[in-house]
Amino acid sequence: MTAGVTAPKVPSAAKLRKRSWYQQPRWHRLFALVVTALVLAQVTGAQGTRGDLFAALEENFSGGAVWGWLGLAVAIWLVREFAHELLGRYTSRVKEEAGRPAERPGDLTPSGGFSPAAAPVWLPALLARTVRFVTDVVRGQRLYRWGSMAALLGLLIVLPLMVSTFWQQVMVDQIGMFVLVAIGLNVVVGWAGMLDLGFIAFFAIGAYSSAFWTGGLPVEPPVELNNFLVIPIAVLTCLVAGVLLGAPTLRLRGDYLAIVTLGFHEIVYLTAKNWTEFTGGSRGAPQLDRFSVDLGFWSYEWELDPRPYYWLQLAFVVVVLLLFVRLEHSRVGRAWTAIREDEVAAAATGVDTVRFKLLAFAIGASTSGIAGVIYASKLGFINPEMFVLLLSVLALSYVVFGGMGSIPGVLIGTAVLVWLPEYLRDTVDPQDRYMYLGGLLVVMMIYRPQGLLPSRRRQRELRMAEEGSGSADALGARPGGAQA
Amino acid sequence: MTTEMLDEAAKARALSDDVLDASGVTLRFGGLTSLDGVALRMVRGEILAVIGPNGAGKTSLFNSLTGSYVPQEGQITFRPRAGGEHELRGRKPHKTSRLGVARTFQNIRLFGALTVLENVKVAVETRQRTDAISIMLGLPNARRDERESDRKAHEVLSFVGLGHRLNELASALSYGEQRRLEIARALATTPEVLLLDEPAAGTNPTEKRDLEVLIRRINQELAVSVLLIEHDMRLVMSVADRVVVLNFGRKIAEGTPGAVQQDPAVIEAYLGASAEDERALVAEVVAEREEHGAEERPDGPPGAAGAAADDEEGRA
Repeated sequence: MTAGVTAPKVPSAAKLRKRSWYQQPRWHRLFALVVTALVLAQVTGAQGTRGDLFAALEENFSGGAVWGWLGLAVAIWLVREFAHELLGRYTSRVKEEAGRPAERPGDLTPSGGFSPAAAPVWLPALLARTVRFVTDVVRGQRLYRWGSMAALLGLLIVLPLMVSTFWQQVMVDQIGMFVLVAIGLNVVVGWAGMLDLGFIAFFAIGAYSSAFWTGGLPVEPPVELNNFLVIPIAVLTCLVAGVLLGAPTLRLRGDYLAIVTLGFHEIVYLTAKNWTEFTGGSRGAPQLDRFSVDLGFWSYEWELDPRPYYWLQLAFVVVVLLLFVRLEHSRVGRAWTAIREDEVAAAATGVDTVRFKLLAFAIGASTSGIAGVIYASKLGFINPEMFVLLLSVLALSYVVFGGMGSIPGVLIGTAVLVWLPEYLRDTVDPQDRYMYLGGLLVVMMIYRPQGLLPSRRRQRELRMAEEGSGSADALGARPGGAQA
Repeated sequence: MTTEMLDEAAKARALSDDVLDASGVTLRFGGLTSLDGVALRMVRGEILAVIGPNGAGKTSLFNSLTGSYVPQEGQITFRPRAGGEHELRGRKPHKTSRLGVARTFQNIRLFGALTVLENVKVAVETRQRTDAISIMLGLPNARRDERESDRKAHEVLSFVGLGHRLNELASALSYGEQRRLEIARALATTPEVLLLDEPAAGTNPTEKRDLEVLIRRINQELAVSVLLIEHDMRLVMSVADRVVVLNFGRKIAEGTPGAVQQDPAVIEAYLGASAEDERALVAEVVAEREEHGAEERPDGPPGAAGAAADDEEGRA
């Protein structure tokens, strides 16, 4: 059947692929970059006045800034489109040279000898081979993996001791908090393939549970608890909220699901804002307990210093990661991927799609519970404006930027994107900080849609899409099969 | 269940050992009747082929049996070896699969981003019960299940002859291998009835011969009853114990391959007029297969005309 069908299709497909120059994706990318540059030039430039509406346009599009932006856009484009090819030819030679197997230190000499004319080739190749040889030797040790993890963890532990208080605050209030949220969001979006635009709602639920159970809300809790004891309760509350959100959305996919999660976020936000008797309304909970340990012989209280909160967050992140990594390569993770790839086939194979989707929502939401409690207790107050929709969108962009479905990607993506606007605070007009973030996201999505450190499974999906044997939209969700 | 009902069930079982018994299955899409009172009895351990022109309702029947569609009328009874009776009409697909009715798809539907091994493991693991918490904590039962699923998946994959491609991406396999992987995935759920929807479509002659052998082995070595939709008459005639012919959503003939080939109603359905020469039948089927998938079917037999064909293709 296929032989009969595909044979006449090949020429027509070739015809489709042959496009005029302006139809090539390369020029589309240039167009997108130039538009981004113009928008950034306008937005980061002077502001208009009521008297002269077009003053800002004139000012921004005649100065040097616009040429700077355009130059940057074209430079990125040139480098990515053309230098890439030239470099590619050179690096393939280097790679070929470096790719020879090296089993002993003596094998490292270049194949063509140390001729000075070919030095640009063998020098980097020799370097690459030496590095690989050494890492191979080291990796042979079973300790390597755990050793490098421990080294990284050690670095993260001492990191707050080396930075200023401002950065310590950023690390706790933003990076740590968003990392915990993004790890959970990654479960829902990256692994199970369900687009969630309202994820901060769970974070809000976690924070408000903390406020409730520590007696910070206008309503008295049955028993007033220590913040540490609130964490499991907040996690459970978020699990239940995850299931509650999941239940009505099970029949939906893709865009429709996203709209429902958007609505869920607004419901939670408006409840927090308007249910004054319970949540304290827009004033929020102004006075919250901090973390404290009292073992009788030893007691400790977390106070204004951000570092102890950082270490607490780090501990939770490590625990959560240890648990989630197991999940990814288990029957649960595989079932999620199966649902993401083809829900009909998954159900026909016996995967209980309803149960696994609810599980993804619940497990994803649970980390927000931890994040919410730590956040509320660190700041000592909460109000609804801390949980606006923008944060949900930002959290999603962190996950996509880092690489959906990849834990290292999500961690690094979150850290980089949270760090960037704070870093820019001193270098550019603070009001424009997020514009630079937007520009970065546009360039990233044009040239590296799989994210900084994509997961192996996602990479495969994108490769399949490029080869035309499948499709990978934002979620990899598609109704049909791989081939039809 | 009352004793009376139990008696009746026992009596029915004594008469014939049916693994699947569908009667009066009627499926409508709006005004279009896709299946019209179809009855299908499948004896335990047989290979039963369902044939018919395009749009005859074959895939609709499969979808009704496995829970993808819910027929408006009729009964579909499944009797597993362990005893008991299960009504399949309206049962959810994953529950049908867990009872022991597995299927493959006409248009291959693998999990392309998973490896061959992982595709099969997904199926094995639907029978497991370890919860997420045991997995996250790495408890012994989770580890045991993981080993067990590995072992079973290896076993099934070497049974279908894909043991050498375990870590290949499912989407990187050749068409014939993808077909076999789909069968492996279905077998990994340890079914009693296996529904194969055009398993030979798009495969080359060598692969077809391999497939024939594989279907026989599944039937004999694994003792799985096989329900087969197939357009390749040579494969149907050589492998099937009995053949059911559908046309316009109705069953028009049933019997041994030889008898069905001689049946005037079948010949008429395929050729549009009576003809004696059975080679003409085969030739027509082959020609039809080549046109299958093309947008227009020039001189299609009246049985496959228009809306019904589009309907089956569109929804499959």
